[in-house]
Amino acid sequence: MKKKKLVKFLVYLVFVLALILIVPSVTTGYSIMIVDVALLYFIAALGLSVMLGIGGQMTFAAVSFMGVGAFTSAQLSKYAHIPTSLSIILGILVAALFAFLIGLVLLRLKGPFFAFSTISLVQIMSNIFLNYEPLTGGARGIQSIPKLNLGVFSPNNLFGWFYLLIAVAIICGLIVERVRQTHLGRALSSVRDNEIAAMSLGVDVFKTKVVAFTIAGALAGLSGALYAHMSQYISQSLFTFNTSLTFIMMVMLGGVNSTVGTFFGALLVTMLPEWLRPLKQYLMIIYGVGIIFLMVYMPMGLAGVARSILTKCQRKKQQKGAEAANGYSK
Amino acid sequence: MAIQSENRPVLSLQGVCKAFGGIIVAEDISFDVSSCEMMGLIGPNGAGKTSLLNMISGIYSMDKGRIMFGDVDVSKAPAHKRARLGLARTFQAPRFLQRSNIRDNLLLGTDLADQYTFFQSFIGKKSKDFEEELSELMEIAGFTFDWDDLIAAFPYGRLKILEIVRAMLSKPRILLIDEPAAGLNDIEIGHAVALLKLATEKRGMGVVLIEHKMDMVMNNCHNIVVLNFGKVIAKGQPEMISKNKDVIEAYLGRGYDVAN
Repeated sequence: MKKKKLVKFLVYLVFVLALILIVPSVTTGYSIMIVDVALLYFIAALGLSVMLGIGGQMTFAAVSFMGVGAFTSAQLSKYAHIPTSLSIILGILVAALFAFLIGLVLLRLKGPFFAFSTISLVQIMSNIFLNYEPLTGGARGIQSIPKLNLGVFSPNNLFGWFYLLIAVAIICGLIVERVRQTHLGRALSSVRDNEIAAMSLGVDVFKTKVVAFTIAGALAGLSGALYAHMSQYISQSLFTFNTSLTFIMMVMLGGVNSTVGTFFGALLVTMLPEWLRPLKQYLMIIYGVGIIFLMVYMPMGLAGVARSILTKCQRKKQQKGAEAANGYSK
Repeated sequence: MAIQSENRPVLSLQGVCKAFGGIIVAEDISFDVSSCEMMGLIGPNGAGKTSLLNMISGIYSMDKGRIMFGDVDVSKAPAHKRARLGLARTFQAPRFLQRSNIRDNLLLGTDLADQYTFFQSFIGKKSKDFEEELSELMEIAGFTFDWDDLIAAFPYGRLKILEIVRAMLSKPRILLIDEPAAGLNDIEIGHAVALLKLATEKRGMGVVLIEHKMDMVMNNCHNIVVLNFGKVIAKGQPEMISKNKDVIEAYLGRGYDVAN
């Protein structure tokens, strides 16, 4: 048991080190930006992984909370001249509070009705982002947002951002993994699989969902706030329903219940449009067909495939071991 | 664990009524359960036994009446609050987290016993006595398992016993057990009974047991309540119940006089 954990830890460590060492040397100015954006999207998609993967609640709302976090942090640092490190934290808090309040209302709906209500939230919010100029600068967006200054470390180019984002992504990933193993994770899983069992085991179904929604909001807010300071320009067009769809694709492709899977999902879905640039006008068709095949052949995504291959290998190993033992006894 | 030898009932139903439209599932039902007591709840199919259990655990609301849990009136309390007060239950068809492993499923029971908030659980460490408690229970349950086994890969009979184990891990004061013997073989029934005996005799829980297997009920329950069409038709010790005319009639039908 302990040994297994150690091996797992080492594999992840080597993977992260390789990522840190290799990626900056093989990327250029443009492709490192794609990787950075993928990492940002991963942080937001993690929130969806908590809601959908652990809690079984389909939500499209992440992109709205991302917008709230982004505009809050941008406004506070640009016009109120609050230090960027603080404005990001405030962005997270405002996004989380917003998610909490919205959650209190929308989570009274169940299953598909809740999912639909989050779609309408995304549409409403993207209209607000477009038209409420004092907050969002309207269609022009907000330009020349101050650069991030963390005191000890201030990324001044996209490579610097890459290191920062890797660190933030790992921390967020660890938090989500921890949530999985604690009371909240188990309570959420019970809400997903059997609400009546959850109730009879003392789980406050509504409260659990709201807490998870708030966590998802905070993660999306963090992602949005970082985005604002990284690209120094944000506008409504970033926070539309389409972006929300890509989050869902990331989580589904990677594996709805796996943090590592979500990471690969985020990476792949962000890079796919770059690789498929010649087929640009057919991209949505490819996505649509892809999702259908995904749901039929690998409903638990890449992580699910990896897991089933692993268990198959283990079983074969056990079988071989058993056969060998039999052979000797004969 | 100290056994409380108080005479006051832990769970007390007072005039519970419930109807689904024109169908009456509970009519003025009253009974008490004290700690260390195993109470049988029997009756023909459709008598309203499971519905009553659902009302006690808060999944159904009542039309009239009162449910007292210790000194607390839980008549209007939601299900999870009642569970947190110490009311655990199992289901006729076991309800588990199908996509989680056994560890998470059982830990959900101990979460209820610990009563940590989400935040406390996030920073805290799991106590070790959970494993001791579990190994003690599993010895009586009569089988072992791998922590990481998926719950979906488990056979039905073991799931039913495992559900009792999970309920006991939450350290309840009252345990509501819905048809534990259905689908179990005789050996497994023996294990289930041993678990329930441990619950009442050593842990001081009060148990409400719904079961159709009469020998199991008659041999183990201290008191029995018989329901038919939502009404209590008899109440008392097993010896009295087995001779009660109304009960025999409810199960077997009215006596038929050949002379007429």
